[in-house]
Amino acid sequence: MKQLLVTLLLPLTCAAQVTPAAIANSPNADWLTYNGDYASTRHSSLRQITPANANSLVPRWVYRLEGAKRLQVSPIVYDGLMYISNTNEMVALDARNGRKVWHYRAQGAQGARVNRGLAILGDRVYFATADCHLIALNRLTGSPLFDVPYASFAAGYTTSIAPLAIKNGILVGVAGGGSGQRGFVASLHPDTGKETWRFWTVPGKGEPGSETWGNFPAEMGGAPTWTTGSYDPALNTVYWPTGNPWPDFYGGRRPGDNLYSDSVLALDADTGKLKWHFQFTPHDVWDWDANENLVLLDATYRGKPRKLLVQANRNGFYYILDRVTGEFLHAQPFVAKLDWTTGLDDKGRPKVRPEKIPTPAGTKVCPSVRGASNWMSPAYNPATGLFYVVTLEQCDIIVASAKEPVPASGFRGTGNEGIPTEPGKFYLRALDVLTGDKKWEYPMPGPGVMWAGTVSTAGGVIFSGDDDGNLVALNAKTGKDLWHFSMGRSLFASPVTYMIDGIQYVSIAAESDVFTFGLFEPATH
Amino acid sequence: MRLLGLFALAISVAEAQPSIEAGRELYMGACSGCHGATGEGSQGPSLLSGRAGRLSLEAIATIIRHGVTGSSMPDFPLLPAPSVTNLATFVRSLTTPAISARLPGDPVKGSAFFFGAGRCITCHTISGQGGYPGPDLSNIAVERTVHQLRESLSNPSARIEDGYRSATARLKNGTTIAGVAKNHNNYSVQIIDAAGRLHLLDRRNLAALELADQSMMPPVANPEDVLAFLARQSTRPPSQQ
Repeated sequence: MKQLLVTLLLPLTCAAQVTPAAIANSPNADWLTYNGDYASTRHSSLRQITPANANSLVPRWVYRLEGAKRLQVSPIVYDGLMYISNTNEMVALDARNGRKVWHYRAQGAQGARVNRGLAILGDRVYFATADCHLIALNRLTGSPLFDVPYASFAAGYTTSIAPLAIKNGILVGVAGGGSGQRGFVASLHPDTGKETWRFWTVPGKGEPGSETWGNFPAEMGGAPTWTTGSYDPALNTVYWPTGNPWPDFYGGRRPGDNLYSDSVLALDADTGKLKWHFQFTPHDVWDWDANENLVLLDATYRGKPRKLLVQANRNGFYYILDRVTGEFLHAQPFVAKLDWTTGLDDKGRPKVRPEKIPTPAGTKVCPSVRGASNWMSPAYNPATGLFYVVTLEQCDIIVASAKEPVPASGFRGTGNEGIPTEPGKFYLRALDVLTGDKKWEYPMPGPGVMWAGTVSTAGGVIFSGDDDGNLVALNAKTGKDLWHFSMGRSLFASPVTYMIDGIQYVSIAAESDVFTFGLFEPATH
Repeated sequence: MRLLGLFALAISVAEAQPSIEAGRELYMGACSGCHGATGEGSQGPSLLSGRAGRLSLEAIATIIRHGVTGSSMPDFPLLPAPSVTNLATFVRSLTTPAISARLPGDPVKGSAFFFGAGRCITCHTISGQGGYPGPDLSNIAVERTVHQLRESLSNPSARIEDGYRSATARLKNGTTIAGVAKNHNNYSVQIIDAAGRLHLLDRRNLAALELADQSMMPPVANPEDVLAFLARQSTRPPSQQ
């Protein structure tokens, strides 16, 4: 024992380090960002599970996080450990069997917003609390290294974001599109949490873009940054999506396009300086945050090699942009229920039908407020050239009010009502990534409540949650269902996949649990 | 007889400020027989969990003064008011995070001991500084009560935190891995070794697993100062909250 004591008195120095290069090459055996990689493809190089054997998937383990009610995390997996987060807490598990290695609760953290995940860099894991503190923990021990506020909870800021770790910063964002805070993206130093740069998504008075708001105060503008962006190390550019202007459903007090709401921002990774922006829904009055994943890919497009950025937007259009210049290349609807516009001009600007502007009496609009898609993660498989996106066919009645808005009061310019005779229907759709043409779809009947996303694998299998609470495996080429497992609850998270000791696993968080699957193995002893 | 002793104590420790220490002495005389020496409960209910943790100081004082009708909890109608307050303050402290407690020790001296003669920092970490394998103490003031901290300092083996038990795994291939078991069951064990390597082991590959039931930490003879120091350790100082 004495010898043990002596030998244990050594610092933890040899933990393997997660590098930005490793993240750029993920996901393979590891899953290193919310979306698996910097390009947000959610496409894993693993190929043990194939269309031929997916029907022999079995549960391998379940981890229950006591007190958790609606886990929405995409786990991070690295070097044998899985990291999951919930509101103001984080857990490290042995990823082969779900056994807890450590648990960290952010003592004193306020707020109850859900948490969608974490970031990993070096020998640290990072997560954001509901009251907008970034916390860094030693990844092997869960020991805290810093706990730093980056926005004021007292001023109404809150967050659910999975941060993104890049070479020199941990990138974070905030909620606030529904409560009237001013959005921003910030880069915090990985060693200290100190802010390196911040880009405000609503320009201050006199700054370029402020003319698109009339006299509306920037401090209340919204344009939140509540989902994880993407990153191109070669272009040294961060791509971050923004949400709706506030108040959500009444635009009379904010005349103009309301930059940079409902946009993609291309930001210099070192300075946060804006390189370009593209706004999907100018002057949004339908709550169509553009916070859907921004998927980066390089392809020959119309005969020319191009660096592309694609997004299936909440407003119902699938967009293709040049991510070097921000040039709009193409868009087309990926839902049938779309009536708010007669189309887009050659710059991608929508021609809005005036009768679709919400009124106090209520206005039927398609897609619904939840959108044609939302934060449920899509995936892109370069081998099939298909973009897999969970899609909602639904319309809403939206009611608007010109009432004086008060931030953090719950007032959003009022809201939406479902149409009981037209319930929403979910589909997993496979789109040609270069045209947006639908190649196949998988209907997902159910109560219309899911928020689950997808993961793609080199084995040719797509995994997704469905609206009836199943984890499903589909043939990536054809959409044919290969396997399903009923989780017995609705799904609000996207699956991930990883490999340890030669076994490929698929995990998805559901309510209080993380379920993990692998191929059946006959007992060997 | 016990009650008489309690009165004598009450008179001797009468103070203007509520005193946890004075309350503890009263508690050991009048309450520990039913509620346990550390509030863990025996014939009477635990004071460490459940309803006890949610009662206000005033509510605890009322119960002490008037008892609980229909239960074994007696009333103490003649106990001087300051003594009731001291006793209630002690009972409250059983579930109050250490950061909220008023303590007699000197945190500066405690810090000097922690980083100096006590060599605590060689095994424990605070905000990224320090060593291994002891539990991280960065938030210990909000995670533990004064009572729990005092017990850990005076009698480290009384309770060994989950994930901090010394473990030696002997593999069937002859290798031995010694360290701290972060978790274990019949099927797997997760050990961090002296060099900081995490070993995720399958029990079927082990010939033996030994888990120590004694802490590696030596007891601290006079813990009040280091207790006062630990009672300030939080990654979120109160000014941020």
